[in-house]
Amino acid sequence: MNATIFVLTIRQLLGRRRALLMAAFGLLPIAAAVIFRMSSPDVDTQRWTVMVLLNGLVVTTLLPLVALVFGTSAMGGEIEDGTAVYLLSKPVPRWQVVTAKLLAAWLATSLLVGLSTVISGVIAMNGTPQDGIVSGFAIAMVLGALVYTALFVLLSIVTSRALIGGLIYVFFWESVVTTIFAGTKIFSVRQYTLGVARLISTASAKTFEARLDGNEALWLMAGVSLLAIFLAVRQLQRFEIGEST
Amino acid sequence: MSQSSERATGSIYDLGYRRYEGVRLGRQHAVAAIYLQGLKGAFGIGRRTSSKIIPIVLAVIVLIPAAIQLGIAALAPRDISVIKPENYFGFVDIILALFCAAVAPELVGRDQRTRTLSLYFSRSLLRSDYAAAKFGALVTALLIVMLLPQVLLFGGSALASSDSWAYLQDNWHQVAPIVGSALGIALFMASISLTIAAQTPRRAYATGGVLAFFVVLHAVAAILTGTLSGDYKRYSVLLDPFSILRGLTVWVFRGNVVDAASNLAEVHLSGWLYLLTAAAITAVSLSLLYRRYQRVET
Amino acid sequence: MTTTEATPASSQPASPARPTMEVINVSRWYGNVVAINDISFALGPGITGLLGPNGAGKSTLLHMLSGFLEPSNGRVEMFGQPVWRNPALYRQFGLVPEREAVYPFLTGYEFVLLSARLHGLADPKAAANRAVHEVDLQDAQHRAAGGYSKGMKQRLKVAAAIVHDPPVLLLDEPFNGADPRQRLHLMDMLRRMSAEGRTILFSSHILEEVERLAENVLVIVSGRLAASGNFHEIRKLMIDRPHTFRLRSSDNRRLAAALIAEESVFGVELEGERLSIQTADFGRFALAAPRVAKDSGVTLLEFVPTDESLESVFSYLVGR
Repeated sequence: MNATIFVLTIRQLLGRRRALLMAAFGLLPIAAAVIFRMSSPDVDTQRWTVMVLLNGLVVTTLLPLVALVFGTSAMGGEIEDGTAVYLLSKPVPRWQVVTAKLLAAWLATSLLVGLSTVISGVIAMNGTPQDGIVSGFAIAMVLGALVYTALFVLLSIVTSRALIGGLIYVFFWESVVTTIFAGTKIFSVRQYTLGVARLISTASAKTFEARLDGNEALWLMAGVSLLAIFLAVRQLQRFEIGEST
Repeated sequence: MSQSSERATGSIYDLGYRRYEGVRLGRQHAVAAIYLQGLKGAFGIGRRTSSKIIPIVLAVIVLIPAAIQLGIAALAPRDISVIKPENYFGFVDIILALFCAAVAPELVGRDQRTRTLSLYFSRSLLRSDYAAAKFGALVTALLIVMLLPQVLLFGGSALASSDSWAYLQDNWHQVAPIVGSALGIALFMASISLTIAAQTPRRAYATGGVLAFFVVLHAVAAILTGTLSGDYKRYSVLLDPFSILRGLTVWVFRGNVVDAASNLAEVHLSGWLYLLTAAAITAVSLSLLYRRYQRVET
Repeated sequence: MTTTEATPASSQPASPARPTMEVINVSRWYGNVVAINDISFALGPGITGLLGPNGAGKSTLLHMLSGFLEPSNGRVEMFGQPVWRNPALYRQFGLVPEREAVYPFLTGYEFVLLSARLHGLADPKAAANRAVHEVDLQDAQHRAAGGYSKGMKQRLKVAAAIVHDPPVLLLDEPFNGADPRQRLHLMDMLRRMSAEGRTILFSSHILEEVERLAENVLVIVSGRLAASGNFHEIRKLMIDRPHTFRLRSSDNRRLAAALIAEESVFGVELEGERLSIQTADFGRFALAAPRVAKDSGVTLLEFVPTDESLESVFSYLVGR
C-alpha cells in the first residue's frame, strides 16, 4: 500500500462530476425508502426492505455499478488517459500500486453504498431496524464491494474494455445465468454478498433466503479477492505501452 | 502534360498538385458511406479482432433462447412453445441493452475523440445526414441481432413440426408483427443509445450512461410498481423502457395487453399508450441527437 | 549488410568503461510485423539523439529502454541490470513520455511533488521546488496542470523526470510542438545536464534539433539501426557517396583546371561565383586543395563542405 498513490486515487475518484453522479445513484434507494414510507402499502416491512430495497435495488443494481465505475477508473482510467506511466516509472513495487488503487476504490464504493444501505434501510424500517437486517446487509455490502472492486481493477488492467465486460458479468452472468443454472452461484459475487448478509442477520428464513451458505460465501470472497489481487499485480508487472489503439 | 509531336521533343511533366477531375459522388453517397461504415463498425468488421468479440458474443447470447426452444420442440412429444416470437424480447432485453451500450460508443465516439466532425461537416454532408446515417446503422445492427433468432425460431419450428408447409401457412401472419415489433424496438433503443453516447467522447462514460439509462429506470420502475398503488402504480410502469417495449410487442401481436407475464397484465394500460410513449421518447431522443450535432463548430 | 565502425573519437558513445545503457541484439515483433530488427548499441554519458522517420521504431525502442515494453529477443540493460520488470532501476533514470496527458486536477507543483514522493526522496518538497525552478515553471506552479499550454506541460514532465537527480534521462519526442523559446531553454538545460556527466537520450524526427543538440546520433530506419556515432564520422564513412565542396577563389576557372588534375577530384562545376568540387576522398582533398591553390597562384576565399549536414547524411541513410 502506498499512501501517496492512495490519496491521489481518492482525489481522482471523487472529482466533482463523478462524485455528484455517484451520490445521485446513492440517493435512489433512499428515495425509494421514503416513497415506501409515505405510501405505506400493504406489504410486510421487513420483507420489502430485504427483497425489494436491499436485495433488489442496492445489491443487484447499485453495488455492482458503483464498484464498476470506481474499480475500472482507479487503474484502468489512468491507463486509458495515459497517466499510468507516471506512477509506473517510479521505484514503487507493483503490489503497492495495486493495493493502493484497490483500497481507494473499495473505500469510495463502501462509503457510498454502505451509507445508502444504512440510511435507506433505517428509513424503510421506520427508524427501528430489527433482526440485524440493516447491519447485516451493510457489512455484506462492504465485503462484496471488496470482491467487486478487486475483480474490476484486475479486469481494467487486463483489457481496455473492462467496463462493458464488467457490465456483461453483472447483468448477464449474475442476473441471468446464475439464476438459471444453480451451480454457477459460486461464481457470482452477488450471491456471496447475499450469503454473508443472510449469515449475519437474524431474520427468519421466511423473510429472506440466500442461495449460498454464509461461511462458504466468506471463504469464496476471500479466495476470489486474493486471486484477483495476485493476478492484478502480476499483470501490472508486465504492463506494456503498446501501439496506441 | 504535353504530347510528343513528329519531331523528337522533350517534355517536362508537372507532377505537382493536381486537381481531382473525376466524378464527385454527392451527398447520397456520403450518407451511404457513413451508414455502411457504421454498420460494419458495430460488429467490428474491418477492425481488430478484439472489437468483434463483444458484439458477436452478445449477438450469440441473443440466439440462445431460440436454440433452447428448438431443443425443447425437438425433444418434447407435443408442441410445447415456451419461447415464442412475441415474448422473445422479454428474454433478451438486457442483452440488447448491453449491445447498445457496447456499440453506440463505437459508432459516435471515435469521431468525437479524433475531432473529425468538423471535417465531415465541411463537405456536402448535412449534420442531419450524419445523425440519420449513424441512427440507421445502429437500427440495422439491432434488427440483425433481433431478427436472426426469430428466423431461427420460425424456420426451426417449421422444420420441427410434423407438417412444415401447414405450419408455414398457419403462421405466416406472424411475420408482420415480428418485423414490426423488432423495428419498433430497434428505433426506440437506437435513438436513446445514440443520443446518450453522442454526449461524450469518452467510451466509458458513454457505455455506462447508456446502460444506466435502461437498468436504473428498470429498477426504479420495479420499486415504484411494487410500492405504490392505484394509478401511480399503473403509470410508473411507463418509466421502465423494457416494459414499454414489451407492452408494445404484445400489443402488436395480440391487439391487447393481456399477457400473463409479470406486471403488464395487472396494469391494464391500453396498447396505444405504449405505442405513444415509445414514439414520444424516440422522437425526443432523435431531436436531441440532431441538436447535438448542430452545435459542433466547424 | 556490412557495418563499418566509427573510429573512437572524443565523442564516441561506447567507451571501454562500462556503458550506461546497452542494447544487445534486441528485436521486437507484433505477430508478423517486425518493429525492431536486431538492434545493438551502447550509450555512455553525453547527449545522444535517436533519429528516424515516423514509424521507424523510435518510440518502440524508447519504450523498451524505459522498461515499458518487453523485447521479443535480446537484452536491454542499464548499469548492467535488465530494465524490464525492474522498478527499482527507476531510481537511476527519469523518463519524459511522449503523451501530453497529466493529472488535470493537480497543480504543477503538486505533480512534481508527487513524483518526488514516489521516488521516496528524503526531502520531496525541496526537490520539487528545485525541479520546478530548473524548468522555469515557478510562476505557474500553483495553477492546475489541466490548464497548462502544451509547452508548459512538456516542461512539467521534464521537471517530474529530473526531480530525483537521475544520472540518465530518456525523452520521447521532447521538442514536439515546443515554441522556439522553449526549445532553446530545454536544449540549454540538457546541455548543462550532459556537462555534469549524465547520459541523455532523446528521440526526434526533426533533423535540425538533433543536429544542434546531439553529440552522437542513432539513426533508425524501418526498425534497423542505420548508423550510430558522431554524424561527422558517419559521413566520412559513406565512401560510396561523393563529398561536395564549395569554393570561392580569386580565379575560379584557373583553380578548376588545376583541381581536375588531382586524383582525389572527380567532378568540377562552375556555378556562378562558386566552384563546386566532387571528391571521393574527403581527407585527401582537404589537404590537397590549399596546395593546388597556392601552386596555381589562386587565393582561396571560401572553402565549405556542402553536405556535411545531418540532412544529407540522413537522406542518404534512409534511401539505402
